[in-house]
Amino acid sequence: MQKDEKKEMKWIYEIIVGSIPPFSLLPYRYSILLQLLLLLVIGLILGYFFSLESVSLLYGSLGILVAVSWSLLILQLGPTLRKFRAPLSKDENELLERYRGILFHRNHYEALPGLAIFITFMAYLFNFGSDLIEYWLGKDPDIILLLFVSLLIWDICYRMGLGIWTSILALWRSIKLKKLAEKRSELEHTPYTELNYLRKLDINNVFFGMISLLLIPIIQHDGLLVTVILVFFVFIILTSMASAYIVSKVPWLPPDIYNLVMESSFAYMGNAFNGETHVTPVVYIFDGQRIFFNTSKESKKLKMLRKNRKVAFLIDTRDMSNIFQNKAVLFTGEAKIYGLWDVPLRFIQMLGARSLFLKKYPEYTKKYAASELPKAWQLTPIIARILVEIKPVRIIYWRGAKQISVPV
Amino acid sequence: MKIPDEMLNILYGNYFGYVCTSDGSDQPHITPVFFVYEEPLQKIFFITNEMSKKVKNILENPKVSITVDIRDTKNPFNNEGIMAQGTARITEKGPIYFLSEETLELYRDIYMEFKGKYQAVIENRPMGENDVIVQINIEKMVYWKGTHFKSIKPG
Repeated sequence: MQKDEKKEMKWIYEIIVGSIPPFSLLPYRYSILLQLLLLLVIGLILGYFFSLESVSLLYGSLGILVAVSWSLLILQLGPTLRKFRAPLSKDENELLERYRGILFHRNHYEALPGLAIFITFMAYLFNFGSDLIEYWLGKDPDIILLLFVSLLIWDICYRMGLGIWTSILALWRSIKLKKLAEKRSELEHTPYTELNYLRKLDINNVFFGMISLLLIPIIQHDGLLVTVILVFFVFIILTSMASAYIVSKVPWLPPDIYNLVMESSFAYMGNAFNGETHVTPVVYIFDGQRIFFNTSKESKKLKMLRKNRKVAFLIDTRDMSNIFQNKAVLFTGEAKIYGLWDVPLRFIQMLGARSLFLKKYPEYTKKYAASELPKAWQLTPIIARILVEIKPVRIIYWRGAKQISVPV
Repeated sequence: MKIPDEMLNILYGNYFGYVCTSDGSDQPHITPVFFVYEEPLQKIFFITNEMSKKVKNILENPKVSITVDIRDTKNPFNNEGIMAQGTARITEKGPIYFLSEETLELYRDIYMEFKGKYQAVIENRPMGENDVIVQINIEKMVYWKGTHFKSIKPG
């Protein structure tokens, strides 16, 4: 029973729509598009039948567009969270289970905010002398038109509610996750792929907030409603951006490897082209999220990297007095070479990397600056020294003679 | 060409090497290894498990490289090291009692050399049944000290 629920992970409205043919027969995305099309066709027929102004049709279509775009964004939550691998930390796993549990609760709490918005809005529309109905549909509209418009309003309110519900939960989850991550030990962590999923969902919610601005033309004559939409817009954007930011600060490496990468001074960078391999020591920095190294524009490794981005990057402690305590981590993945185009786009990142290099290797920097070196060895960024970022796909960790594969 | 003394000093004086192998799709892989260098043969030997990724890679692509270096966190001009590129050969796969007399001799020699060099390791971890000896035939070697580079082709 519980297993089925976890697999299901759908909201009430989606369950209802999903059980009515022909929607139930189609994949999710197409079912949503079919709903859009159906609503549009009904709207246009009704508009023609009751000879509505074309501006009414335009508002109606805009409303449908908003509802459907919101559906497309928010319905990615379920499938994304379904393929989520369990974090390798008991606490973090429990938190994410709880988050999923509340998000897709069997009591369907997710419908409550939407219902509250719908009831409040309908009451405002019909009882408090708002002239929006007349503005949309003309004087004394037919009951069928009113029902259709109510359906559209429900579609929009329900999803507004979902937007609030998901973004508040996301922020709560991110703050909790960040706190739990600080208490990790040894190899406990949530893999990068999963953290990235969470961040992407949060960014989806930012777009969700932006789309709400499309509602403004529809209610532009009502100052109060415009304010409500703006508040909603700001609320969703701020909570989602805060959540995405916090998730981006959660380390994706377990503490053992995080500390090794943070504290070690040297790395070995290996690459291959046409079967020929190449491995050399490099100095590198780690900002908690990203690993960078610097190389000369003239170096063999850079020339090879430009032909094949696949890299192996090994960081280790080398203590000959106690070999069994030696630790090493190998990242295999791709290298991103920073070029001129990245200067305007990633200026802050590049500046940050440079200042970390100066902090980590002050002697190096001093020595390099003081000597009259050939151009290839100078520290001038971009011109002579190229910044390269390591984007790992696989991680292997050795502790003594024991080899452990760590999910990314 | 004879290998110059500064390169030999690095090869004799260090415990650790970093071996880079790659698979058929040019995906590189690095592992730290304990190695020995044999001057008359101009070859590097190391022992590894036959199930390891590097063995799998070597069977796909025998071209490997190995870096041996001395690192100084304070002064980059003291950094010194070599990178040797060459072809790897897995001397014998399978349990050691199937090895030929000649290979066993070599194995014993290298094993003794390992033992001398890495007492602490060997004591606790004698070569297991799944261990194989990998030999690297050096074709090119790069040496650096500080900003100074030198490259040779032995053999």
